[in-house]
Amino acid sequence: MYYRIIRNDILKSKAITLTTTIFVAAAAMLVSLAAILVVNLSGSIDTLMKRAETPHFMQMHSGVIDIKRLTAFAEQNGHVDEFQVLEFLNVDGVQIVFGEGSLGDNVQDNGFSIQSEKFDYLLDLDGNVINVSDGELYVPICYMKDNTARVGDKGVICGKEFTVAGFLRDSQMNSTLSSSKRFLVSKNDYAEIRNLGSTEYLIEFRLKDLSALVAFETAYISAGLEANGPTITYPLFRLLNAISDGMMIAVILLVSVLVAAIAFMCIRFTLLAKIEDDYREIGVMKAIGLRVSDVKKIYLAKYAAIAVAGSILGFALSFVFRGMLLENIRLYMGESENSSFAMFFGIAGILLVLLAIIAYVWVVLRRFRKLSAAEAIRFGTSQEKSVGARSFCLSRNRLFDTNSFLGVKDVLARKSLYATMLVVLVISAFIIIVPQNLSNTISSKSFITYMGIGNCDMRIDIQQTDNISRKAAEISKTMRSDSAITKYAVLTTKTFKATKSDGSEQSIKTELGDHSIFPVEYSEGRAPAAENEIALSVMNADELGKTVGEGITLVIEGKERNLTVCGIYSDITNGGKTAKAVFSDNSAGIMWCVISAELADESLVSGKVSEYADRFDFAKVSGIDEYINQTFGSTISSVGKASRAAIIVALIITVLVTLLFMNMLVAKDRYSIAVMKAFGFTNLDIRLQYVSRSVFVLIIGIVLGTLLANTLGEVLAGTVISSFGASSFKFQVNPFSAYLISPLMMAGSVLIATIIGTSGAGKIKIYENIKE
Amino acid sequence: MKKIIMGENIVKSFGEGDEKRNVLDGVSVEINEGEFVSVMGPSGSGKSTLMFSLCGMDGIDSGKVTFSGRDLSVLKEQELADIRRTKMGFVFQQPTLLKNLNILDNIILPSMRDNRKNAAKITKKARALMKKVGIAELEKRDITQVSGGQLQRAGICRALMSNPKIIFGDEPTGALNSKYAQEIMDILSEINAEGTAVMLVTHDAKVAARTERIMFMRDGKIVSEMRLPKFNGTHIDDRMIKVMAKMREMGI
Repeated sequence: MYYRIIRNDILKSKAITLTTTIFVAAAAMLVSLAAILVVNLSGSIDTLMKRAETPHFMQMHSGVIDIKRLTAFAEQNGHVDEFQVLEFLNVDGVQIVFGEGSLGDNVQDNGFSIQSEKFDYLLDLDGNVINVSDGELYVPICYMKDNTARVGDKGVICGKEFTVAGFLRDSQMNSTLSSSKRFLVSKNDYAEIRNLGSTEYLIEFRLKDLSALVAFETAYISAGLEANGPTITYPLFRLLNAISDGMMIAVILLVSVLVAAIAFMCIRFTLLAKIEDDYREIGVMKAIGLRVSDVKKIYLAKYAAIAVAGSILGFALSFVFRGMLLENIRLYMGESENSSFAMFFGIAGILLVLLAIIAYVWVVLRRFRKLSAAEAIRFGTSQEKSVGARSFCLSRNRLFDTNSFLGVKDVLARKSLYATMLVVLVISAFIIIVPQNLSNTISSKSFITYMGIGNCDMRIDIQQTDNISRKAAEISKTMRSDSAITKYAVLTTKTFKATKSDGSEQSIKTELGDHSIFPVEYSEGRAPAAENEIALSVMNADELGKTVGEGITLVIEGKERNLTVCGIYSDITNGGKTAKAVFSDNSAGIMWCVISAELADESLVSGKVSEYADRFDFAKVSGIDEYINQTFGSTISSVGKASRAAIIVALIITVLVTLLFMNMLVAKDRYSIAVMKAFGFTNLDIRLQYVSRSVFVLIIGIVLGTLLANTLGEVLAGTVISSFGASSFKFQVNPFSAYLISPLMMAGSVLIATIIGTSGAGKIKIYENIKE
Repeated sequence: MKKIIMGENIVKSFGEGDEKRNVLDGVSVEINEGEFVSVMGPSGSGKSTLMFSLCGMDGIDSGKVTFSGRDLSVLKEQELADIRRTKMGFVFQQPTLLKNLNILDNIILPSMRDNRKNAAKITKKARALMKKVGIAELEKRDITQVSGGQLQRAGICRALMSNPKIIFGDEPTGALNSKYAQEIMDILSEINAEGTAVMLVTHDAKVAARTERIMFMRDGKIVSEMRLPKFNGTHIDDRMIKVMAKMREMGI
């Protein structure tokens, strides 16, 4: 019997059954993929880190190193199992050439290492420790993915020729989020190129017991050992390895929640419409003594069938996509040892979706219990009580025409019924507007203020070279005599140690120079003017726990010096942790130098950029627009793409939900529709009434969605941006697109969906619904 | 007498294939201006279907229905709606009022569709009708706050708003107790006395006895007709006896 009922029902509503099945399948597929990916990712990371024997504690250090002191510390510390210091040879990207192109434009810090002896091994793509021969070069896996190099290619490093023998997985620096990348060469080759770059040290420890990590870290810091560079621990390595694929999994999970919510809404609206259609029959079944659970089973059977079909389809589809999604994990981290569990978790994920749907249908069907058999048989439709809006009377209405009045009145009288549609429209407006505003904000020129740089026309970067100060002086001298340049500022970045309130130390990249020439926006305070003042980036201020007016101790030329925090500014460059000061310092090594210039005429920018680039080939010269584009171009374009995708998704959801909702409403209201038709209302009148309902809900939805987007949305976007180091984030809204085009797109979608969704109203026969 | 509705050889069927059954099997009927007629017959004889076919709410398979000389079968949906709204009135067994509207709004609703600018005039007329049928004090009430008889009176007010040429009633007293039923019939008789034709479908001999022409239906056909003098408020029992005798004769 169930089979026949299900078959007939599905045949009657093919389109909606197919839509629901597709959404269930998509939700099942995504949940299953997320489960499979989580298991594989964690398994692959474990395998990689186990085989590579990733250090538990790693301190990067540049400058003088005292190996003896470090060895003595390692021997004396009871937690240490093994200890080693590796060299990492930083080489300018320009000096690394594959085929025609160099890595000059590459954002990564590329460097060279030899295979370590004790732990922290570099592995080949089979997961084995690489034995590298002279003349061979192993290239980080990310360069295989972006086709920079292939096995057998020639690579020229600082003029020395190598053959790419293979690619390597680096359990420390694999992640695209890790800014350094290690190439592997033989000991002999390394010795040859050693003087052609700057050496950094990786001071690495493996502990006997990882749980002693915090105690060890404290011991290392209090021993005052080498620490001119970042410290990374085992859990952070794990996190770094997991984060980019983890983000993808998080996105898949989020999307799956969204898809499942749509599937649930499809089910809810179609089920409610079906219950309304069958209202009298349900009443009869109850009246003749069938138990509610028996009646429920008939309806449940159909959705269980859809859920099972959707889940099977979703599982099959997950096989199609899993290879594609696992490819990245496999490439970067290798096979997982527990991939057999993955299938189990994948199936478990699908079962979860299946059970959730069945449980949901069961909950929706609970209304059978309240259904009065007598009422159902008598009226054939549910008898809802209308509430509210009593004072909104037709007899006193002078504002709307009668059809619009009936539309608005219905929404006011049955608020809870329209709440679902309103929520969907609010969310749609939100997802349309927020990414759009974010995209507009980060692509606007004023976004430069979040980047910790003032408003200039041209920017010259001098880094990864020697004699930076001499070279900067040379450029400065040229600029002084260049009449096209109205003003310029030389800002030199050096690292100083700051003492935190808990006594520990932290390196701060401090930009020294005159900050009044190209001022940045300070969220609090002002630019440093006196020798004893320092301005901190938001992230540094947070991390050091400092506010404007507080003191901070910096080690300058070997002596501790107390400075006052005079301002806090937004900076999303250099990891968001920078500072600005004006004091003079002759000791510490210069990390880089930036020269900003303003031209008398903006049209001269491109000419001046090429002139300075030709003249000073050691410097990177760029127009400010180009600089923003280079630094954030890919982010701007990704956010742009994401905002367009969000608009499409939101509109599809709007159309689908409106369509289903209207379909349900027509089923629910068929008695009223029949009455109105009997008394002389035309099909067009009825349709206009439904359009008025939609438009009324739409207007409220758009207004609320826009308000929410500009308040909560701005806060959310601000939170994301502030994680990169910006503060006091404000949306740059394009009113034409946000307040005109977006609402029009939504209105168009809602109207089309309403017109299609209410087409059933024209087919309602008067005599079938009001005949006694 | 001028005819307002003419049905000629109306055939209407339900079901398909072997299940197909003629509910109206070649029915011809005429209703004159100001006439008070009723249709009686056992359940399933086609009474209500005949009424729905004559007022254009339901299509027919063959035959012809004309209203004031216009062939309903060739009219578009909007034109049929216009005729129902402006020239006909309807009273059903269940008070077909909308839940979202109060009593007054329900009554003025069809009239307001065309004449929103005359809202004040329309409302005034509705109040006068409400007073006439004795529900003047109920205008702001929800439809759940009044009795079945009061709702039916509101339904009659709505039917009268457009000064219809004819009022169709499908068991208008079927859901009411005898006191309310009599009151409704009194109102309908009064309306008819003022010149509006009334066609009622009923099982109730007491209702039929108020009318001047009774058509008896069986198996989709009008099998007999009975004429009575115009009801003047007296001798209802005699009229009823005659109607019941005819019903017995027809096996109803």
